[in-house]
Order: sequence, then structure tokens, then C-alpha cells
Amino acid sequence: MNVARRLLGLVWLAGALALGTGTAQAHPHVWITATSELIYAPDGAITGVRHAWTFDDMFSTYTLQGIETKTKGVYSREELSSLAQTNVESLKEFKFFTFAKADGKKEKFEEPVDYFLEYKDAALTLHFTLPLKTPLKSKELALEVFDPEFFIDFKFADKDPVRLVGAPAACQMKFQRPNDGSANAQKLGEQTFLSGENSNFGMMFANKITVECP
Amino acid sequence: MTPKSPSRFMSGLAICATAAGVILIFDGTMHVLLAQTPFGGPRPTAEPQVGGIVGWLLARQSEFYREMSSAIRAAKSDGSAVWTLLAISFAYGIFHAAGPGHGKAVISSYLVANQETARRGIVLSFASALMQSLVAVVMVAICAWLLNASAKTMCGAEKAIEIVSYALIAAFGARLVWTKGGGFMRALQAPRPALAMASAGHGHGHDHHHHHDHDHGPDQHVHDEHCGHSHGPEPSELAGPSGWRRGFGAIFAVGIRPCSGAILVLVFALAQGLFWAGIAATFVMGLGTAITVATIAVVAVSAKDLARRLSAGTEGGGTLVMRGVEFGAAGLVLLFGVGLLFGYLAAERVTCL
Repeated sequence: MNVARRLLGLVWLAGALALGTGTAQAHPHVWITATSELIYAPDGAITGVRHAWTFDDMFSTYTLQGIETKTKGVYSREELSSLAQTNVESLKEFKFFTFAKADGKKEKFEEPVDYFLEYKDAALTLHFTLPLKTPLKSKELALEVFDPEFFIDFKFADKDPVRLVGAPAACQMKFQRPNDGSANAQKLGEQTFLSGENSNFGMMFANKITVECP
Repeated sequence: MTPKSPSRFMSGLAICATAAGVILIFDGTMHVLLAQTPFGGPRPTAEPQVGGIVGWLLARQSEFYREMSSAIRAAKSDGSAVWTLLAISFAYGIFHAAGPGHGKAVISSYLVANQETARRGIVLSFASALMQSLVAVVMVAICAWLLNASAKTMCGAEKAIEIVSYALIAAFGARLVWTKGGGFMRALQAPRPALAMASAGHGHGHDHHHHHDHDHGPDQHVHDEHCGHSHGPEPSELAGPSGWRRGFGAIFAVGIRPCSGAILVLVFALAQGLFWAGIAATFVMGLGTAITVATIAVVAVSAKDLARRLSAGTEGGGTLVMRGVEFGAAGLVLLFGVGLLFGYLAAERVTCL
């Protein structure tokens, strides 16, 4: 049956294309190399997170478009101050791509403080501190840094990605990078969907920092 | 052309073919819809780092994009690197269009809703990609090159254009729903025996029930023996000026929103003093995009076409099915527009940080 065969071919093609379009999702347009510091108060409570995010070549250039400087190609901290302001204001919409949980409970951050931009080796680095709404003395703190839309690819620096500053000696920090492709393919089994903890599996692609203080 | 009494098998096939056409559009809807959870929490983005072939494709896409900046830098000292840049841009365009873009979904839905030909699907795909490239180039040329505006200003412009584009899609969809809704209602009310009789050359009163909003006089019709079947409009009707004008409405609504990636590449090229290379890369990227979108559009149109031919024998029922599919596709265009406009659907984010 000629028509039927042609039709089946077409259905197959449509299916293949649909699958292709469905899975070839968004890809990042911005790359950030990050380092983070968890800041502790003298009494052992964590007060906030200090990020340093270095943007990739192309995005750094894009962001610097139209910024006036005294010397061409040299950007002082003052000349970049209004841009830094814009950055932290825009980041608010995305919750600063920083998601904290203390003993399983979501925690909120205040507006960023001490923010500034630094230009070095053709790349911009945004420094800012996110104070926690309330300083915490939790047993377990989980911090995730990622863009759920994957427009920005967060990669933590190879050297000293995360540091604890002033933390009690007993606190132990674990840092987990997003899984690479091969690990995911195996992990995305039924377990992912059955286990309640992993049900929000966008989190699986996050950079995950866990601090345990007994 | 079609058997008088089609088997159940054939009607089953017709439904399958229709489904195939709809899948493409549905898929487009779903992955824009899925991009956002209604709970306001972080969106479960499953795809970014999946393994296997798809993971590989995705990684390639990402790589192509990243290679563009080094290719532009290289082109500063070595002119032949421009060819590398163009090759990368082309490949990136092809891969990128397979991504979440709502444009592809809107164009396919429009084609299905409007009984368009595959040829026109290809033309529209290329025209909208060309327009997208053009808007990106003009925007960067005016904002960055002429006015030396800041990234913040450009991002504001991008956001404004985005809203205009979504509003246009919604308006366009509303118009489609209005016209297609009429056809669907008439097909619902049309007594089936009368439609079948039309094949005998009588029921001229029903002839136009299955035609929609083509602005043509009745004399343009060929009242031959298959008039009573749910055939599509004659090619001459499609090629009419009003049809093209409608098509341009679709490409304008979709193509007016530039791609964030193109803007980044253009500004970067401008900063390197190689704006022309950025422009060339943008257009080559658009060419790659057009090829992918055209492929998808052709498949959508062919699937519907086959469904139409197969269901043509089902004594009027086919008309109902096809009008229903068109009405549904028109509704999708409207939903896309409204959803994007009010933020229920997420498109590629504009570059504002």
C-alpha cells in the first residue's frame, strides 16, 4: 500500500523532528566563572554569601558597550559603578541565581551590598555580597548557584571554588559540580522521579554547596 | 482521486497524519510551556546536560557559539579566519533553530491553519529569518554604532521590540481564529448528505463552506466534480496578493524580534573593529536558521496535506476534521501570542544583566 507507506514515513519524520526540536533545548549565551565565599559572624552564624562572577569574553564586551572611559580599554571601578548597579538590579529578577536552604527550609536574601565591577584581562568580574535576611545557625546549609533557564552557564573556578570565611572549626563544606552528560543519562532513571527529594530535578544541574555544622 | 467509500483503515491513517502535523506544533507549544513551572520555583530544565546524541548536539551548539568570539578575534589579524567564522555561524544557525524558538511554532501553526503550500512555507521561513537578521543588524548599527548607546539601553530596546512582536502574534492569531472559527462552525453545521451531493454537481450553495478567508470572487472557482470534497484552495488562490500579504503579517510578527545571540555577536564584532564580519555572520546564521525552520514547516504542511487527501473521501466528515485542525492551529497562534505577552510562555531571554 503505497499511500500508507508514504504516510508512515511522514509520521516517522514528523516524530523524529518533533523529538529533535523538543530535546535540543536552550543553550547558554553567557558563561560565568564563579567563586563564592560563605561569610560567618563571630558567633558562628552564617550571615551571607559573597560572589565573584567573571563573565566570558563576548558578554564582557557586550556589557561594556557605550561605557565612557578616560583611557581607552581601561575601566576603573568608578567608571564601572553605574554598570555594577544595573547588574545587581537586573539580577534581582533572577533571585541572584542563588538558592539557599537551611535544614531543608528555603532562606531569603536581602538586597546585595558591596558590589563593584572589575575589568582585567578583557573580562569583567562582578563582586557582590548577598546578606541573608536572618543570620543562620543551622545544622545543614545547602546553597545552589545556577540559572534554571540555562541562559547563563555557571562554572565554578577550578581552584578554590568555594571558601568558608570565619566558620566554626567543626563545619564541613562539600562542593558538587553539575553532573556531566554521561552521569546524568544514568541518573535520570526512575529513581529520579520516584524519590521525593529529587522530584525537582532542575536542581540536578546546579552547583551545590553543602555545609554541615554539628 | 479518492475512493468513494473509504475503509476504516484510511480514515485511521488520516487521523494519524493529522496528528503528525499537530505534533510538531504541539511540541513547540509544550516546550515553551514546560519552560516555566506555575509554582514560581526554579524551572526544572531537564535538557541542558542530557547525554547521548541530543547531549552531543547541544554541546556542539554551545561550542559553535563559543567559537564565534575566538573566530572574530582571530579575524582581526588573519583575514581567512572570517571563513571559519561564517562556517561556524551557519552551523550554529542550523542547530539553534532546532531549539525553543516560538517563531518556528508560530510559522508552522500559521501554515497549517491557512492551507498553505510547502513552497510558501519555505519562502516564509526564509523571509522571517532574513528579517530577524536584518533587525539585529539595524538595531546594533543604530544603537551601538551610531549612538554608542549602552548595553542597558539596547536591552531596553530589545524588550520593547519583544513586546511588540508578541502583541503582533496575538493580534495575528486573533484574526486567524476569527476567520477559521467561521469555517469550522460552517463545517459543523453543514449537513453531510448535502456535501456529498455536491459532488454530483448540484449543491453550489455549499461550495464555499470549506473555503475561508481568501478574498476571491466565486468566478475564480473551478466547479468540477471534486468540488464537494474538502479540497484545498487552487494554487491561483494561494498566489493571490491578499494571501501573500497575510503571509507577510506572519513573518513580520515573528521576524521583528532579533535573536539574543546575534546581538551579542554583532556588538562583539563591532568592538573588535570588525562590524562587517559580524553582519556577514548574522546573515549566514539566519540562512542556517531558515533551513531548519523551512524543513519543519514543510513537514507540517505535508502532514496536513496528506491528512486532507486521505480524509477527503470520508463524505463530509473530512471537511469537519480539516476545518477543526485549521481552527486549532489558529487558536495555537493566538495562544502563543497571549502566552508570550503575559509571560506564561518563556522565549529565549533577552540579554539584560
